[in-house]
Amino acid sequence: MSRAARVIVAAFAALAVAMVVSLSAQPGAGRFATVDLYVASDMPVAAWQVELTETGGAMQIVGIERGDDATFRDPPFYDRVVLERAQTDRIVLASFSLSAADRLPRGRVRIARLHVRTTGTAQPDYEARLVAAGAADGSPIGARLTVETQPER
Amino acid sequence: MAHPNVASRVVRGLTALSIGVALAVLVACSSGAPYPVSGGASGGSAASSDGSEEIVVTGSRVGSSTSSGRFSVRERQAAVAAVAPANAQPAGRLFQGSAPGGSKLLSQVQPGEEIWVIQTAAAEADSVDDSSPGSGTMLALVAPSRGAETTQVPLPLRHTDVHAVVTGYVSAVDVTQQFENPYDEKIEAVYLFPLPEKAAVNEFVMTIGERKIRGILREKEEAQRIYEDARAQGYRASLLVQHRPNIFEQKVANIEPGKRIDVNIRYFNTLAYEDGWYAFVFPTVVGPRYNPQGSSDPVAAFPRTEFREPATGTAVRYLRPSERSAHDIGISVELDAGVAIEEIAASHEVATRRDGESRAHVELASGNTMPNRDFVLRFRVAGDTIKSNLLTYTDARTQQGYFTLLVYPPAAPTASRRQSVEMVFVVDTSGSMAGEPIAQARAAINSALDKLERGDTFQIMNFSNEVRQFASRPLPATWDNIERARDYVRRLGGEGGTEMLSGIRAALGFPRDAERTRYVVFLTDGYIGNETEILGEVQRTIGDARIFSFGVGNAVNRYLLDELATEGRGTAAYLALDDSASAVMDYYFERISRPALTDVAIDWGAFAATDVYPARLPDLLAGRPVIVTGKFRGNVGDVRVHGRLGTEPVVFAIDAARDAQQPALSSLWARLRIEDLVRQQTRAGDVDGGYATAIRATALEYSLMSAYTSFVAVDASERTSGDRGTTVNQAVPVPQGVRYGTVVTDR
Repeated sequence: MSRAARVIVAAFAALAVAMVVSLSAQPGAGRFATVDLYVASDMPVAAWQVELTETGGAMQIVGIERGDDATFRDPPFYDRVVLERAQTDRIVLASFSLSAADRLPRGRVRIARLHVRTTGTAQPDYEARLVAAGAADGSPIGARLTVETQPER
Repeated sequence: MAHPNVASRVVRGLTALSIGVALAVLVACSSGAPYPVSGGASGGSAASSDGSEEIVVTGSRVGSSTSSGRFSVRERQAAVAAVAPANAQPAGRLFQGSAPGGSKLLSQVQPGEEIWVIQTAAAEADSVDDSSPGSGTMLALVAPSRGAETTQVPLPLRHTDVHAVVTGYVSAVDVTQQFENPYDEKIEAVYLFPLPEKAAVNEFVMTIGERKIRGILREKEEAQRIYEDARAQGYRASLLVQHRPNIFEQKVANIEPGKRIDVNIRYFNTLAYEDGWYAFVFPTVVGPRYNPQGSSDPVAAFPRTEFREPATGTAVRYLRPSERSAHDIGISVELDAGVAIEEIAASHEVATRRDGESRAHVELASGNTMPNRDFVLRFRVAGDTIKSNLLTYTDARTQQGYFTLLVYPPAAPTASRRQSVEMVFVVDTSGSMAGEPIAQARAAINSALDKLERGDTFQIMNFSNEVRQFASRPLPATWDNIERARDYVRRLGGEGGTEMLSGIRAALGFPRDAERTRYVVFLTDGYIGNETEILGEVQRTIGDARIFSFGVGNAVNRYLLDELATEGRGTAAYLALDDSASAVMDYYFERISRPALTDVAIDWGAFAATDVYPARLPDLLAGRPVIVTGKFRGNVGDVRVHGRLGTEPVVFAIDAARDAQQPALSSLWARLRIEDLVRQQTRAGDVDGGYATAIRATALEYSLMSAYTSFVAVDASERTSGDRGTTVNQAVPVPQGVRYGTVVTDR
């Protein structure tokens, strides 16, 4: 191996090590992931409200996206319940659709995707509560909420 | 054990060093010689007088870049590694070559040839933080301009779409900015843009393809941390930051080549009203600001090719007069005045479709889409119907009521002879006023001089780098003095800086005339970056004087002009370049000729209003109502306004029949509370204390943008390949009527 080639190899090795160390040593670096919320109901769902907390570590919600059903046109609205400088968000989400009942989703459907950033070493532990679900005429309906997390990509 | 930050810094330093070494070695090995940038032979570097270096690296993908719509980006680090001081060329010379062969001057570049211009600052190379915007800025490919031909500069912002719905005197406005990466590498787009100064920005959505991601409002520093973290890890993200109540910065990270990301901003606003006319205003460009030495938070005016970030504050990049970007604007307004619309007028050519007596759809005509001047849409409503206009909203969750009320002064007779005044004209003669703006200001003063009466006194002051004045003290409005004044005005030009603070001090600082009220007529485009300092000085020195501010130009700093008038208990007026200066001055004198309603107070009765803004009601000038916004818990009842018309006490009832519910009112109220807190903060000179806490808390509670809160949105579902991408600052045209050369210094 020529001297120049050895120098190249050494430089790249130093570069690789430094980059790995640098990434892991970045102060305040968080992990990004998505959290999907599903509602299952036998009735068409026209409106819903969900409260989400995370108890295991430090979670920040960094984006809110609507679910799979296009009749809910806009991303859900939110109300940050904890407004102070909290490590972990507690958030209330809500959305509604003005579509006719026969166009509304029923069965199990993804209603929202949350984009989150977590920090610290603890694994996130999400708690979600379905505050309300309503039919097109505004009447409350029975529904079940489940949460699925997607790993960092 | 080392502090983590210190360790991190050391590691980053090692990383940078490794990259530099690796690149340098690679280059040496591949060519058998140092990178071919030696003087004039191939490629090149040029050391400019300010210590910066400009390097032109020949592209290997020579072709018709402009037709393909792809442009190349190279990282600053590569340039740094490739530069050898010994290769320095005379300042400002750019070279192009077909590496490793010969070179050409830029003027010799032919259409279709590709050049990569990478600029770095040798003097600052070690101190620049690589994570800061601009650290890897690409200076876009520019074909040599020939004659007066316009050069198209590829930049990421393609289009701004504005859709407003006006209900009564409240507007809900959706602004969508479409960013698209025209380069062949990943970028971060940065765009500094204006919004109306009282806009209550409360929604932020990032759109990627069909997916819409709602942004979250957070404390400013926290939002910036999240954004930078996402950007560094390759996630698509956007961040909205407020630099002034009317200047915002949009950042969009990790836009891949050829890909598009839209950002939607929603705000509420109230419309200004004057003599039967409502005005909807949408500003399209931030004017070039002058920042006096020592400004703590400047807004600098940089040429497009300046990649370095200012040491403090922020900067707007401007296109040269011969350059254009693809950015255009579309505006549509749905009007629902609630009462008959009698007339519609606009600053731009528009297409109007009437939809009944009180409704209309107005759209900006094609061919008028260059974003270089304010869009102003006025509509006149039927005479007396606006006198009572109460809008309310009750938050279902908190049961808190919000209201906004247009308080319209009673008709006052024109006085047979107005009170004598001491008229002090203060005109901005800085560089940005050169040309058409200063001509308009001269016309306005000349027109005002015509209207001075026996018993009045007057003074003319002008400021740029320093203050000059017509006479040593205010002179009586005699024929001789007015003629001499006209001669003085004729010689006013536009040149130099904007030391407005000196102008304010000069106008308000000299001894008061016990016989006359001082009226300060301020004529300026407001292109300064030290608004807080100016407004603080006005608060301290205004005394019983009145300020009437006149914004001269087509894209003026309305925030400064409105605040000057508010602090000075006068009004602001806007004098566009194609307006009649004499008509505007006629109107102003007509207004001050009629007695204002002073000592205004409102008896809310059973309405139980609290937290009302403006906290101190201004004098009510004829034809000019004031919008009062507050909270209430009671029932609409007998609301009465007390005041004094001249020396006579006046009481009148407001027909407070409640109008339709208006959900925007809570946001509008919160925005006014923030504005009031900012005023108090300026008065107290307390930047980080209790006022900041109160502003932050209000903004977070009502989900509003402020100086202390920002919106951030991250798409965490997918990471883009590669690193954080190169920062590209969106350059904008200078406002219409402003001369580029007088406000932007090309390097």
